[in-house]
Amino acid sequence: MSAITAKREPGMGFYIAVWIGLLVIVGVEVALTYQHPSAKTLLFSLLCLAFLEAAIAALYLMHLKFEDPKLFWYLIPITLFLLAIMDYLWPDAYRILSLGALK
Amino acid sequence: MSDDLAVAAGQDALMEAPVFGIPVKKLTMWFFIISDTLTFGAFLFSYGYTRISSSNWGAPFESGTIINGVIMSVVLVTSGLTMLAAVAAAKNDNKPRALRWLGVTMALGALFAILHLREWFKMIGEGWRLFQNPTGGAQQFGAAFFSITGLHMAHVIVGIIVIGVIAMGFRSGRFDSNHVETTGLYWHFVDVVWMFVFPLMYLMNAR
Repeated sequence: MSAITAKREPGMGFYIAVWIGLLVIVGVEVALTYQHPSAKTLLFSLLCLAFLEAAIAALYLMHLKFEDPKLFWYLIPITLFLLAIMDYLWPDAYRILSLGALK
Repeated sequence: MSDDLAVAAGQDALMEAPVFGIPVKKLTMWFFIISDTLTFGAFLFSYGYTRISSSNWGAPFESGTIINGVIMSVVLVTSGLTMLAAVAAAKNDNKPRALRWLGVTMALGALFAILHLREWFKMIGEGWRLFQNPTGGAQQFGAAFFSITGLHMAHVIVGIIVIGVIAMGFRSGRFDSNHVETTGLYWHFVDVVWMFVFPLMYLMNAR
């Protein structure tokens, strides 16, 4: 790590706050689940919270925020894009469901 | 001619500057993390696809399973914090402190694996198999659950072993703080994957 990024890095007190934040998000996820919303609402909410947790972990626990910004832009957008393009098959899953093929 | 230039200018003249200002080992670990992210992404996507296309997926997990999952989440997130402490100590050249925190991280990882295996054996005892669902729901549930959580658990166990190897090498002076930091990257990645596995595999299937 360069001297510049080493200076910007926070202390353990900040990371303890991050740890507490992640645990709070886990608690929110469980609380949401036992509100028994619809499956779509629950899935959307849980995915949003999971991505928030992942972003916090990647930026702070994995120190991506304190590295050269080019590393972030080199790795993350393409990864998110590749994860997103896997979603093109969802309409086919609903087609299979309407056929009643999988029981 | 190139050999003479190398001798005259020193080997460093042929070495490029580190890409993105980080050691090559660390960049390689990032590449591995990205590839493994896509692997887990594909697994979780295929689970979602199978689930949506099944008319009788069901919600078999009682509160006991969810509570166990929450405890596992707390253990794994805490191990991320202890790994951070180990990396910080290693970078400050505080070897005893770094080794202590690496040991705590390994212990928390082992606790996670034990809790997970306990859950597995409980489900197997209830009749769950790769393609057997004792509740009468979709047979693919077992395959999805055991394969995704099994792949994650394998990553945890490998991570524990790697942390142990790095800790021993760091103690002997064979490895330095960069090795500890690179191992920390892997461990945090395992944590990030669980942040998706727990909600999608456990909470979405909670009764």
